[in-house]
Amino acid sequence: MDQVRCAAPLRVPRPHGPWQGVKENLTGLGNAVVHTTWSEWLPSVLTTPRLRELLGPDWDRYRRTPDATVRYRFAAARLLIKYTAAAALGIPPEYLDLAYRLGGRPYLRGFDQIELSLSHTGDLMAVGLSRTGRIGVDVEPAGRNVRLELLEAQILTPAEVAEIAGLPKAQRVPYALKLWTLKEAYSKALGQGLRLGFKEFGFKESGPTGARLHAADGSAATRGEWGFATHPVMGRYLLSTACHDAGLSTADDTSVGTMLDRGFLSAMNQSAG
Amino acid sequence: MTALQDTTAPVRDTHAPVRDEGEAAPASERAARLEAALGDPLDPDNPHGHLALLRADEARDAPAATEALLAEAGLGAEFVPCDLGGRLTDLEELARVLRPLFRRDLALGYGFGITSLFAACAVWTAGDEPQRRALAAHLLDGGRVTIVHREVAHANAILRNEVAAEPGPDGGWVLNGHKDTVINAHRAEAFVVYARTAREEGPRSHSVLLLGPQPPASGEVRRLGRVEMPGMRGAHFSGLEFADVAAGPEALVGEAGEGVSLALRSFQISHCLIPGVVLAGVDSVLRQAVRAAVENRPDKRPARRWHKVLAGVFADLLACDSMAVTGLRAMSLLPEDSYLLAAAVKYTMPDLLREDLEELATVLGARGYDRGPLHGGFQKLVRDLPVAGLGHAGTAVCQAVLVPQLPALARTAWFRTPEPPAQLFEPGAPLPPFDHRRLAHCGTDDLLTATLVGAAGRLAKRRRGYADGSPHATLARLAQAFVAELRVLRARCAALSAPAGGTGFDAQACALADRYALVLAAAAVLGMWEGQAGTGSFLEEPAWAVLALSRIARRLGAVVPDLPPSVVGSVLGEVLERCRQGRSLDLYGTALAG
Repeated sequence: MDQVRCAAPLRVPRPHGPWQGVKENLTGLGNAVVHTTWSEWLPSVLTTPRLRELLGPDWDRYRRTPDATVRYRFAAARLLIKYTAAAALGIPPEYLDLAYRLGGRPYLRGFDQIELSLSHTGDLMAVGLSRTGRIGVDVEPAGRNVRLELLEAQILTPAEVAEIAGLPKAQRVPYALKLWTLKEAYSKALGQGLRLGFKEFGFKESGPTGARLHAADGSAATRGEWGFATHPVMGRYLLSTACHDAGLSTADDTSVGTMLDRGFLSAMNQSAG
Repeated sequence: MTALQDTTAPVRDTHAPVRDEGEAAPASERAARLEAALGDPLDPDNPHGHLALLRADEARDAPAATEALLAEAGLGAEFVPCDLGGRLTDLEELARVLRPLFRRDLALGYGFGITSLFAACAVWTAGDEPQRRALAAHLLDGGRVTIVHREVAHANAILRNEVAAEPGPDGGWVLNGHKDTVINAHRAEAFVVYARTAREEGPRSHSVLLLGPQPPASGEVRRLGRVEMPGMRGAHFSGLEFADVAAGPEALVGEAGEGVSLALRSFQISHCLIPGVVLAGVDSVLRQAVRAAVENRPDKRPARRWHKVLAGVFADLLACDSMAVTGLRAMSLLPEDSYLLAAAVKYTMPDLLREDLEELATVLGARGYDRGPLHGGFQKLVRDLPVAGLGHAGTAVCQAVLVPQLPALARTAWFRTPEPPAQLFEPGAPLPPFDHRRLAHCGTDDLLTATLVGAAGRLAKRRRGYADGSPHATLARLAQAFVAELRVLRARCAALSAPAGGTGFDAQACALADRYALVLAAAAVLGMWEGQAGTGSFLEEPAWAVLALSRIARRLGAVVPDLPPSVVGSVLGEVLERCRQGRSLDLYGTALAG
């Protein structure tokens, strides 16, 4: 099969869009990534009269969070997920029940035509959507100050360490940071977060934005069913995406209105009525 | 997906089935015989072991030696009802017989076997005697039949496009159209076609036609090029084209316009059977993870950080089996009312099993990428499982069954339907013979919510006798939490707008159907746990049910009480013990080869 292509992130500065690019990427590539800053979305959190409906089961958590910044950021991120998903599904965002898998991965209860992932750091928030399979996104400040030895000891495979050693000194930390975001994105796609041992798998750059997954010994780990990409965002962040294609060649149409088969519905409604 | 040119004509198996022995043997014995014949999966010299099966998968070939063995064993007879000369007496038995196969290779299970059953179901359910006998003879003779689906909403590669049948000159039909991706299209001699016979949408838009095994009187069934799927690489998917294919009036299965209804009735079988067999594949991966976790450990016990994962996945497998076996038994015991449970099993369980594989990836670590015989089965199952479940299009079919029923269930069934008979929850206990013809899609009772309410009530009554924080007390609390969830669902579903006879639906019903299906999973666990009382087995203890229910409750977003520390330990102890003894990680704990 063809290598999965990850969509370039699109900036959506407010809840009313623009969402056209998201729909196009979802149709054309099977996935879409949206980013914004939480301060751009904050006015919506503060002014919407429907916040409780929009947060749904997350309302209690929102109310229980004592720190105002954390609370508003939490709400803004949920709004971002719901508005992004609602654009893809063609229904009002408050109809969506954002639920969490055992490992913490969010999903849309009852609407498995779309999988999603959320990441935030500093003032940046990003949401990834996919109609072909699992998706994970991770954002980090591009200039994050990290100790290379620490990353080498805790998250990089011997093959990755060797590759970094061959790079000019100035590129080593940025490259290690990129590998880190890729690993985070992949483990979020699997819904496992930090439980997945980051030294048990590795990445290798492929093309200007892409990367390939490798086993710890450096051998190829996939057959093209995964796509990975890292993009710079707003000049100061790195955004990595991991996208899976289960290979079923899913329908382009992800809207809720068309998802239940009319033949089955009419036969069931006839027997129920 | 890549389409390759392949115009191979169908080739009949050269291995005539041997049916002189085993015909009367009980399912457990037939399953044991197949397990023994397939042998130790870890033996590199075993032609049916992991090494051989993974090599075939790598080469995108069906494993020839193992297919020959299954043909020799006359596996095709398992898909033919016993009154037609086969061995199919009930579906729980069938799932048991198939598990040895699915423990080793999902693609083989589909490619060799259950595809024929899924196709034949419509004929067993509504076919006339000549059709039933002809198809039975074909399958008993080692032949194959495949299913040509109609196009359903949000169709994927397997469900996209459809075949239309126009009235022919002699009261028969003329078929035209194509499908992109049909399993076994290259070697099936017969087809069960869900053909469009009316232009307008509605409940009577399609009819089922049985074609073959004889070639059509006129027109052509063209086998198109192979389609390479990323999962089930060894199974053969290809395009299929019907060009002016003539079918006589005798090809019609049931009545004209009955196709959609027939699908709703007969798909129940695949809806329960798929989770009921693919769980055997996850059973293998869990044993693989246990092996990895105890490797090089001095006390042969996994490190503490893996306890929850290993015990949790085992509890999920038991929950999945509880739900699947209950559904499979319901089709014999209460065939008029099994359809809701069947849709809920298929809706909930393939997804839960996929999550389990991802959890096990953390235990396997780097081994999870190894393509060798010891661990290669993991990645293979990760690839195969989404294809088996059919993804969103597959779940949407189940939602289309559940969603329209929710308002009526809320108003008339929940907290009202009497409890189903206890035999529903006794795996392996004798069942009345399964009769396809009794399957329905309009029953108004909801068996399992009745079990949930009943079991929660019984636990509450005995609660004073349970020590605080004991597993029994925790089980009672969890059961109450699910009853509370059902109450919330009742209020919300009763308020849904219910378009009678139409095709509209309330978008909010989709999330409610998801919650309802999880409540049914919890009910099946409680029913199964109660059904084990007095057996003296591990399943009689509350630990597995507590762990399984806590995981289902977390999926519902419910607040889950802290589990007694003994719960994980007790479930982990059982999974380690079963792995040591070589017993399956399902309700049956059957002895395994190697």
